[in-house]
Amino acid sequence: MSTLGIEVSLQAPASAAPPPEIRLAPPRAARPARAGWLRRNVRGMAALVVLVAVLAPFLWLVQLAFRPADRIFDEALGFTPTLAGFTSLLQGNFVRSFANSLVVSTLSTVLSLAIGVPAAYALTRWNFPGRRHVALWILVTRMAPPIAFTIPFFLAYRWLGLQDTVVGLALVYLTFNLAIVIWLMQTFFESVPASLEEAAWIDGCGIWQAFWRITLPLAAPGLAATAVLCFVFSWNDFFYALILTRTQAVTAPVAIVNFLQYEGWEWAKIAAAGTLVALPVVIFTVLVRRYLVHGLTAGSVKD
Amino acid sequence: MATLSWTAAGAGWQAQRSRAFAFGLAPSLAVLLVITLVPAAALLVGSLTPLSLTDPAATFRFDDPLVNYRHLLEDGRFLDSIGTQLKLSVASVALQLGVGLGLALLLDGRSRILQASRTAFLIPMVLPPIVVALIWKILYTPDISPMHRALEAIGLPVHSLIANADTALWAIAVADTWQWFPFTMLMVLAALQTLPADPVEAASLDGASRWQLFRYIVLPHIRPVLVVCGLFRLIDSFKAFPLIYVLTDGGPGTVTEVTNYYGFIQAFNFSYWGYGSAIAVVILAGVFLLSWGVGKLGWNSHEHPGH
Repeated sequence: MSTLGIEVSLQAPASAAPPPEIRLAPPRAARPARAGWLRRNVRGMAALVVLVAVLAPFLWLVQLAFRPADRIFDEALGFTPTLAGFTSLLQGNFVRSFANSLVVSTLSTVLSLAIGVPAAYALTRWNFPGRRHVALWILVTRMAPPIAFTIPFFLAYRWLGLQDTVVGLALVYLTFNLAIVIWLMQTFFESVPASLEEAAWIDGCGIWQAFWRITLPLAAPGLAATAVLCFVFSWNDFFYALILTRTQAVTAPVAIVNFLQYEGWEWAKIAAAGTLVALPVVIFTVLVRRYLVHGLTAGSVKD
Repeated sequence: MATLSWTAAGAGWQAQRSRAFAFGLAPSLAVLLVITLVPAAALLVGSLTPLSLTDPAATFRFDDPLVNYRHLLEDGRFLDSIGTQLKLSVASVALQLGVGLGLALLLDGRSRILQASRTAFLIPMVLPPIVVALIWKILYTPDISPMHRALEAIGLPVHSLIANADTALWAIAVADTWQWFPFTMLMVLAALQTLPADPVEAASLDGASRWQLFRYIVLPHIRPVLVVCGLFRLIDSFKAFPLIYVLTDGGPGTVTEVTNYYGFIQAFNFSYWGYGSAIAVVILAGVFLLSWGVGKLGWNSHEHPGH
């Protein structure tokens, strides 16, 4: 069903199946087992070293957040951790920005699921003429650069009075979230056997009744993963929020930039804000790692 | 793409079914129409007018529709921005492909450690881009950067890389690579899963070296994935914004001012909305051209696997 296809099967989103394991590099027939064991672990160690090196910049940010403000420029690595950076965020507008981010992301997620899930189901089960074109159009909207949307949205919102509102921002996020929902949920619905629905239809269920009672519950893990991805994509947005908000609906990423511009010397506070904004995303990454791969590469592989 | 084996269905039931599905699809299509096609059309129309904050009456003035595009061709700053964009995109995509491929080969194994570290390697890609920008702002600020401290300790003090016109663009390319190498890594790992075992086994029994295995068996197998990765990242690299906004603001001078950023400045710093729209249309055209290329290449590699 993909348009851009090479045959790559990423983690299959079958709701009940365990995640497929990446196959071991080809067995070396002639080698003794112990050498293989050693080799694998050397590789694991190397991977861990690289991992620490790669994540070091991020860990540096996190440790800055816990440093006392007067030790920020210290040469010494050791220090007594403090929460002062975090508590200083309680004064001022950061709490409000954080709440705005939560509200906007949740609202946009709920909206895109409510609108997109039935469409994904219809696209999965209904083979109408032009179906491929519709699917392609939905995918292409994901490719378009945000600057192309921001100028018209900015001008329209000035006129509609939606500028600097949480609702306006949540609506803009539909431009990418809706495509994600429709694209991802199709693969989840495909893994639900159509025969179950047909049985329900024979028993007198309507299309949407059968969908609600049978298909959707079976696709629930996929639905949850999709919701998380929508939330993360909205949460991560900076460009739209920068342009479409001023004071009332400012989100946490924009608040961080404001700190950098107006309080650039308060590194502990800024690092604390950065850590807090990164936190939900890192938690979600661990929670939905099985499905993450699929969402992050949506459209770039043949499903 | 399920085909229903619903044979007992009468024409009435089929019609009813189609109606129900259309009912489910309609809201999405209507919303997508309003939030994607209408703005795209508005952008195109806007790019044909001299619309700006100081001249709001120009909204529907089409007496010289190509004025913005003519101006673009003479605008040295715009033309430079395309060059900057290409330099940044090519450098960072090449780096991402190299690093991503290397890490995928390293992580392609079944041991517990490798499996677990795979998720952790995704962190740079899922972090909010503004946090990534903040992380690199810290790394590139000599006062608090561990990198600058280490260099100073070994007697090689370096001035801020992002304040230096010679290094600023490459500093951004490095940060961009850090953020996006996991994408290539993921895709290559997925491709390695589908590597057929037989040829590899046969070749290693025949005494092929590891480099020969990689060069003649693994690389041809994953090459289509690398091409698609490269094109996808190239398309996405046109949208790079937070890194430039936070690290250099397009400077020093205009050495890191990519096309996307120049469009942003024209539209939202100077409020030349018509002119900014024209720049956005050019970027949009570039993106569509590349997307079309992805589709083409994708299909070709699908038809001739391994070529």
